[in-house]
Amino acid sequence: MVPMDLGRRIASQLSEATFERIAPLALANAEQNRPRIRRSILELAGRRFGEGDAAIVVAAGPSLHRRRSLERLRAAAFRGTLVAVDGALGACLRAGIVPHLVVTADPHAERIVRWFGDPALTTPSVDDYFRRQEMDPAHARDEIGANRTLVELVDRHGPQLTVAIATSASPAVVARCEAAGMTLHWWNPMFDDHDRPDSVSRRLHRDNGLPCLNGGGNVGTAAWVVTHAVLELRRIGLLGMDFSYPPGTPLTGTQYYPELRELLGDRFAEGYISLSNPFLGETWFTDPAYYWFRDVFLEMAQDTDSETVNCTEGGILHGERVPMVALDDFLAKVARP
Amino acid sequence: MTKYLRGNYTVNVTIEEPAPGAADSTEAFERKALSRLGGSICFVSKKGFLWKGDGADGSGTTDRQPA
Repeated sequence: MVPMDLGRRIASQLSEATFERIAPLALANAEQNRPRIRRSILELAGRRFGEGDAAIVVAAGPSLHRRRSLERLRAAAFRGTLVAVDGALGACLRAGIVPHLVVTADPHAERIVRWFGDPALTTPSVDDYFRRQEMDPAHARDEIGANRTLVELVDRHGPQLTVAIATSASPAVVARCEAAGMTLHWWNPMFDDHDRPDSVSRRLHRDNGLPCLNGGGNVGTAAWVVTHAVLELRRIGLLGMDFSYPPGTPLTGTQYYPELRELLGDRFAEGYISLSNPFLGETWFTDPAYYWFRDVFLEMAQDTDSETVNCTEGGILHGERVPMVALDDFLAKVARP
Repeated sequence: MTKYLRGNYTVNVTIEEPAPGAADSTEAFERKALSRLGGSICFVSKKGFLWKGDGADGSGTTDRQPA
């Protein structure tokens, strides 16, 4: 029998499971990327890309499109620092927004380079990830056309872009970023407790001299950590940080659908978790991995002295230290000195 | 029913014990699920946001040249 709280129980065990699943590939990438490392992320410490101490972190959740967040951001002429995750880069550039900093970390060998436009892609990929995923619907509508547009945009804006890139990133992503003229600043993902003598994080740091950043399970949280712990920005608004799916989203269009389907068979729907969104008065749903991301973010938010508000206007990320605030209200507030 | 739950009273319902192996199969399923799900980057609880090294070898400073 599959218990009803299966999703939450799986989520509670994902810290260890993530290490087991990704560490081998991430460490192999780190070894392969080592000769390419020129600059540390610490060179960005305290740097003011934009005006003042405010920043917006742009993730790639469905609210980014639902709420037309980027169009509204552009219209407001936000002058603070803009940090985007790799998956949101295309949406930003198409909206006429060039982020100051792009964050990338996922070690996947083929998928992540697509967020930067893959010049080698000429026919639809066998992997249906980009046609199915909810993060950038442009790829679902026209996979080849969207990629071609993104290649052109990234080639045009590459020299303006700074990338906070994890040593775990795929060498294909590194090559693409370098070819587009981006400036790369490197960091190690924190894999485990660096105080342990046999720590993987410690060994990696000894080998390449780079700091280890606690990534919180996903690139969106890692981008938020970079923003307050490296750039030292104190007022942060989150966009597209849904960690969930809007009501009515087909389960086939969710990130972990193939895995849940394979594992649970006809009962795969029991792996999802429903949560209320008080900002919209809606019930959203999420899967175990996204639920874990939410829990981790709220735990990490307890330990920062930066003010973080969630301007996503959707999703499930809200708590005492991460209130949901309308984007327009945040923009009006940070526009004041 | 485990002997620790036996009392000196009579209940009006029939308590069905789980089939042998049910717990094992649930655990096995969860182990399999955990091997397929998870994040793209690790999270380490209670270890701060940024570890720059212990500093004794200069690795904790911003001016150290990475390899």
